[in-house]
Amino acid sequence: MAASAVSVPKKASRRRFRPSLVTGLVIIGIFVLMALFPKLIAPYSPTTFDYQAILQGPTAKHLFGTDNFGRDVFSRVVWGAQLDMQIALFTTLFPFLFGTLVGSLTGYYGRWADALFGRIVDIVVTFPFLVLVIAIVAVLGPGLKNMYIAVSAVGWITYGRLVRAEILNQKKAEYALAGRVMGYTPSRIIFRHLLPNAITPAIVYWMTDMALGILLGSSLGYLGLGAQPPTAEWGVLIADGKNFLATAWWISTFPGLAITLAGVGFSLLGDGLADLLRPRG
Amino acid sequence: MRKWLLALAVMVLGLGSAAPVRGGTLVYGRYADSLFLDPVFTDANLDIWIMQNLYETLIQIGPGGKGLVPGLATNWGFSKDGKTFTLALRPGVKFSDGTPLTAEDVKFSLERAKNPDNGAWNFLLSSVNTVAVKGNQIVLSLKNPDPSLPAALATFNSAILPKKLYVAAKGKDEKERAKNFAEKPVGTGPFMLKEWKRGSSMTLVRNPLYWRKGADGKPLPYLDAVRFEIIPDDSARILKLQSGELDGAEFIPFARVAELQADPKLSMKLFPSTRVNFIVMNTRPKLKNGADNPLSNLKLCQALNYATDKQALIRLVSFGNGKPMTSYLSSSTPLQAPQPMYPYNLDKAKQLFSASGFGLGLELTLQIVAGSADQSALATALQQMWEGIGVKLKIEQQDSATQNARYAEGDFQMQFNYWTDDIADPNELTAYATVYKNNQSFQTGFQSDEVDRLFAASQQETNPAKRAAQYKRIQEIYVNAAPMVFLYEQPFAVALSKRVRDFVQIPLGNNVFVNTYLEK
Amino acid sequence: MNRWSYVLVRVLQVIPTFFVVMVLVFVVARLLPGDPLTAILGERATEDMVVRAKHELGLDKPVPVQFLIFLKDFFQGNLGDSINLKVPVTRLILERMPVTLFLTTYAAVLAALLAIPLAFVAALRKDTWADNLIRGVFQLGLSMPVFYIGLQLLTLLGARLRLFPVGGYGNTFGEHLYYLFLPALTLGFNLAAILMRNLRASILEVLQAEYVDFARAKGLRPGLILGKHVLRNALISTVTLFGLNVGGLIGGAVITETVFAIPGVGRLMVDSIFGRDYPVIQGLTLTFALLVSLVFILTDILHAQLDPRVEAA
Repeated sequence: MAASAVSVPKKASRRRFRPSLVTGLVIIGIFVLMALFPKLIAPYSPTTFDYQAILQGPTAKHLFGTDNFGRDVFSRVVWGAQLDMQIALFTTLFPFLFGTLVGSLTGYYGRWADALFGRIVDIVVTFPFLVLVIAIVAVLGPGLKNMYIAVSAVGWITYGRLVRAEILNQKKAEYALAGRVMGYTPSRIIFRHLLPNAITPAIVYWMTDMALGILLGSSLGYLGLGAQPPTAEWGVLIADGKNFLATAWWISTFPGLAITLAGVGFSLLGDGLADLLRPRG
Repeated sequence: MRKWLLALAVMVLGLGSAAPVRGGTLVYGRYADSLFLDPVFTDANLDIWIMQNLYETLIQIGPGGKGLVPGLATNWGFSKDGKTFTLALRPGVKFSDGTPLTAEDVKFSLERAKNPDNGAWNFLLSSVNTVAVKGNQIVLSLKNPDPSLPAALATFNSAILPKKLYVAAKGKDEKERAKNFAEKPVGTGPFMLKEWKRGSSMTLVRNPLYWRKGADGKPLPYLDAVRFEIIPDDSARILKLQSGELDGAEFIPFARVAELQADPKLSMKLFPSTRVNFIVMNTRPKLKNGADNPLSNLKLCQALNYATDKQALIRLVSFGNGKPMTSYLSSSTPLQAPQPMYPYNLDKAKQLFSASGFGLGLELTLQIVAGSADQSALATALQQMWEGIGVKLKIEQQDSATQNARYAEGDFQMQFNYWTDDIADPNELTAYATVYKNNQSFQTGFQSDEVDRLFAASQQETNPAKRAAQYKRIQEIYVNAAPMVFLYEQPFAVALSKRVRDFVQIPLGNNVFVNTYLEK
Repeated sequence: MNRWSYVLVRVLQVIPTFFVVMVLVFVVARLLPGDPLTAILGERATEDMVVRAKHELGLDKPVPVQFLIFLKDFFQGNLGDSINLKVPVTRLILERMPVTLFLTTYAAVLAALLAIPLAFVAALRKDTWADNLIRGVFQLGLSMPVFYIGLQLLTLLGARLRLFPVGGYGNTFGEHLYYLFLPALTLGFNLAAILMRNLRASILEVLQAEYVDFARAKGLRPGLILGKHVLRNALISTVTLFGLNVGGLIGGAVITETVFAIPGVGRLMVDSIFGRDYPVIQGLTLTFALLVSLVFILTDILHAQLDPRVEAA
């Protein structure tokens, strides 16, 4: 059967041009530049009203048009990148690291650690997220930092489950058994042998999760529990334009495009990384 | 002359085409469902604003929300000393289950409504000592003269319920009985509750025994049924209206009013309302956390009022649909006396601000309800406007339950809030906003012995002119003390299909379907 | 461990989880600032009224005592009455849960129907225009807020083309399928995108593993290889993701139900959280917990079925 046919995968050795990785890097790179230097890129202030320029369509002066306060939508999208790149990173970084650690340990050791992990997963997943977020925000006050805490408290579960399942797969493979026979320490087996082969789905999911993090940030922003005005992230910009879909489409369409593009960028990056990390024969 | 002729022609033609059509079901999109259809125990506008389609009061609010007209009572009047109020019951009225309305039902309902153990509204009838029945007459003896009593008897909580059915309802206490009765409410109103799928839809059907007659001489209402569909999302509600699945939709966002006005299939209504929007300022010397409170400084409060460009706010937030407040009372509230207020004046604001002794960059915090596009637009605009005098406004969003809790504890610096009257009298809002012992004057901490005295006197003043003068003075004092940033009034925005006729939402918010009909 | 005793163990494990969730939600709900009375009454609540109402509802008792009362009622099958809606919580749940269940199941089925075949096409034709198109379209599902997709679908297919009703639920099974198509698509799109991406990556990985080469060398037909090896192995991580995302699906139902005016429990949950309606929050959380645990057990079993190497955890 298939199980017996698995051998020690080799590291990728061939170097070749990877279009998805490069495109993804370029897209995310541009957003990161926007996030780092919004002042240099945005032509206007993202918060100053201009009563003379309310609800204007895209023109050379206002590339993406203006909103109902006369604010320049392009400038708002650029400044939004700062918040959204932050959200993408900080809602996922801790979950990825912690989830991977917990997943590999529980997957390798099994028994009570695994059982405990299983119960924690059950509790976290069955507990209504919104109650948790409101509770955390109510106790700590609204704002991005507390949103990160709330999202992280739940987000690590997915990584934990993914990595655990893969580790269970890999543990049975010959090379892992071989490692054990040769008397390697568990930490060496886990982190040097098992994890590099088990982490691919988690990394691919991480990239997806960054895009999801931005979406989640916008839903929470929509409920007023995320970023506080007047700074706005893309989700709030879309929600702001909700009433103008028929009369001023540009208000929500351009931030929508920004979110979509960022999502595409992250997933290309994910694909590219999957390609790069995939063991080759 | 020509104009006059034209007007006459329009009137004649108007009358000519105004023969109402009978039948049909009107489907009306609401943003949220009712909670509890009991006039005494209800807490929410969601109930109050539709309840008089089921239950009726002795006195009713006139068409278009102005004045008082006979309801279940045909006439009423005070005794000479103002301490007795007598009403004559309308003969021949039946509840929707067929039992005749009697004075006993009235006595029962009013006693229930004024019982201090029952619900949030008994204070409206606090002047009533006893309710007696004399044949077809109901005699209220009062603890003191009460000029607002007729208006109170036209308010939802004094609606008349059938005593026999209510008493027969199962339940170990008053509240449980109310719950069971409200499941299948019976009243004298033009409609009866037929089906209620909570959170989804509510169907009211025509009460064939209704007493009021239509223009064709037959009993009202014209409609066979009204079905409320609950559609919380504004855009979805409008889409359903545009696709013809609804005949009407409430709470149209002001951002979309102009667009719907241009839609040839719809008529966009902006009904005058008693809704006023304002910012409540905590003017106590110390904040809840013990810190010094800059807003205890009168000049600062006035400076903020002057620095607020109301016209700009109306343009930005309600897209031109509103007008600046001219008192703390809405212009639709009886006895409102327009005040000079604080017209936008940046120079004056700057002067007052520097006279207040605070330095540039003074930080103030405004709490708004999270997720409300209007409130966040308003707060963002104020942030910008007050920057002009050197005030740095911090915006804090929180969910409404948190905000209410912090309100109740006085734990805030500024909160956005609004008000809609429930009674056609200035006393409700005046009691809440200006009299310290009630909720510390809308939690502003405002306190004035003169206002307290004037209000107490006005509650028993039967001479209308004198009462008006008292109210005028209260409004002067309150507006000058500026415990609020007075913003603007806004109408109720309702979009109807062109074939819906004679629907009104009165300034108190009640949706009146009794005269409504659907054109073929 | 044999399969049935494994299921039994899993079911027994749910009980303590359930209890912890019960305690947690009970305490956390009461930790939220504000209370059900001021939440609805707002500035109209006088202190006296709040005190009286709290006493009537038993909210003035210490939390542990309240919990014991709740527990006693719970074992008698009574979840209490909604404070705001004034009806029994069990009735509310029985009325609304089927709607949400139908919607989420429908969405999950649509997601699987979309994702599985297209993932195979994309993986087998990697880097061709078909692959790029499929990935591009699904990317939209990952990158657009749910309410935005929903509104666009509503405007286009509902209001403009009048192919589908704008909101509502219908009365018969067929009507449900018709009325809920757009909402289910909206809700499922996100999940479909996650599934498709992951499935495609796993298929590619499996296709390049040596055992497939080995099978190919043994002369097995490509179809057989796919069915026997690739499908089974690729589905493992997909099933994991699917199970994990059911919770998210129910979460997404909140927004979908709002936009499409569907009377499910999602909206009820949000309203009761914002209205601090403790009995409803508790009742719904416990029901969610039960459902999600059920799905977890099912995915675990499926997982074990698909991959004989994995032993029960």
